Amino acid sequence: MTSIVSTRGLRFAYGDIVALSGIDLEVPAGSIGLVGANGAGKTTLLKLLLGILSPNSGEIDVLGHAVPGQAIEVRSRVGYMPEGPCLPPDQTAADFLIYAAELGGLPLRAARQRASDVLTIVGLHEERFRDLGGFSTGMQQRAKLAQAIVHDPELVLLDEPTAGLDPEGREEMLNLITRLSDFGINAIVSSHVLPDIERTCSWVVMLDGGKVLRSGPLTDLSTTDEVELETLGDPAPVEAALRAAGAEVTHDGKGLAIKVPGGDPFTVVRDVLAATGAGIRRLGARRTTLEDIYLAEGEDAS
Amino acid sequence: MPPEGVVFDLGYRPHEGDRLGRAGAFKALYRDGVRRVFGIRRKARRKIFPAILIGIAVLPALFFVAIGVVLGDLGADVFFDHPEYFNWTGNITLIFCALAASELIIPDRVHGTMAVYASRPLTAVDYIGARALSMAAVVFGFVWLPHLLLLIGRAWTSSEGFTTYLTGHLDLLWQTALATIVYLVAYGTLAFLVAVYSSRPALAVVIFLVVLAAWRATLEALASAGYTVAALGAVPDHPGYVKDWIMGANSEAWLPETAGFDPIVSLAAIVVIAAVAAYAVLRRYRSLL
Repeated sequence: MTSIVSTRGLRFAYGDIVALSGIDLEVPAGSIGLVGANGAGKTTLLKLLLGILSPNSGEIDVLGHAVPGQAIEVRSRVGYMPEGPCLPPDQTAADFLIYAAELGGLPLRAARQRASDVLTIVGLHEERFRDLGGFSTGMQQRAKLAQAIVHDPELVLLDEPTAGLDPEGREEMLNLITRLSDFGINAIVSSHVLPDIERTCSWVVMLDGGKVLRSGPLTDLSTTDEVELETLGDPAPVEAALRAAGAEVTHDGKGLAIKVPGGDPFTVVRDVLAATGAGIRRLGARRTTLEDIYLAEGEDAS
Repeated sequence: MPPEGVVFDLGYRPHEGDRLGRAGAFKALYRDGVRRVFGIRRKARRKIFPAILIGIAVLPALFFVAIGVVLGDLGADVFFDHPEYFNWTGNITLIFCALAASELIIPDRVHGTMAVYASRPLTAVDYIGARALSMAAVVFGFVWLPHLLLLIGRAWTSSEGFTTYLTGHLDLLWQTALATIVYLVAYGTLAFLVAVYSSRPALAVVIFLVVLAAWRATLEALASAGYTVAALGAVPDHPGYVKDWIMGANSEAWLPETAGFDPIVSLAAIVVIAAVAAYAVLRRYRSLL
């Protein structure tokens, strides 16, 4: 696995308040979700990756460069979409994007071309000569994303990209984030909205209280060895038969979650259904959501 | 021929050309700064103040040249000479520096644009340096060009002839340029210092001007009362005194001069004040970039 970001023993504190407590990370290329509650240390980690903050101890490596020592090299190849406002209200979208591209090191001619291309990609081409101050929240978020990718970075850091968006704006933003990998741009998406991460990312880093709860592929995290079953009619006889067959059964919404320690739950369910003659509405492998994992891990940590 | 209405999606085109890195970012910041001070590519109201101040600074020189063309050589004593012209533009320079510094520094911080700079190949020194250079270029042009205009106008209307007058007064070119730099360093660094701690441009300008005026009045009163050392803090007077020294003139009774200090002391005071202000500005911005 080739890492785009790695940290070793990374620690950072704001005075007495520890934001990150000695974290070790290996983050592969692709779309990476950085999840955690407010105050978990997500934004702090992003700022450390950019070299805006210097760690109290530990090492950071971004795209093969040590940070903060080689922060200038890193910033030439990284884009950043901050959570808060960052757009000058008295500039047009086109002017600001050209300027942002030049700040990223592109020559003026290329900057103009890229600004035009990227404004089209984020759906703001028609609005390019409007002042940014007159943009709606959704348009401003897209303009923020545009400035982050206008200089064609290898990695873009997105801090709460769907914050404040209505459902339609959120959908547009998530679609744009999903397309980043098609452009060859790696993304680290920081969010406390877990479904957003599930939609857009292939790898997840979970932070809580300045520590890494989990870091791994989303598929590994969400796959379980449980079966989800919803029967037609009363599930009580099926439940009783499953328990008699040695399965652990819990109620999960309208259905049952079934786990067979040391065995194949599908085989046990098949036998029980055949024996009881119950009809099934739904049967399949149970997948957990990030929310389930986050809550479970949080409880374990505390 | 493709059918009508077909949209060609060019897709994502990665940048495969040169990357200018830190130098390119610095240049972009500098150019943006110059545009911003003049209000270029901004709304019309952003152009009003710079245009008025430039007009006030340049019009007297143009006026003199026009009078000279109509009436012939009037001589320096009829109309004000270069040192007096500096006294005229000095106060405007003060206002212009305050306006330029606040326009260059405050909006980036207030609108959160610092976050964009922080993700680009720039350091705090690059940011402040490029902004300072923008202001220096604009203010230098604004203060020095009227002198160039005045010199050429005088040469044009001179009874000595254009070339003879010009070659005989070439010293004025470097003297006025050097004096301009002195004004720029003295006022520019302080204007930056006020701007980095302010959140509203108009307020920053007013604070800067009012504090300097009150400061000077206080120091003048102290110097008059016998505390002559107070004259060393007369920031608004030091550039004028040093300018007179550079140009070999005595255009006004400057506070450090009346208090008995040599011009070199005023120059040293400017350097110290500017160094302290520059340090404070950089210290403030190290935490932002």
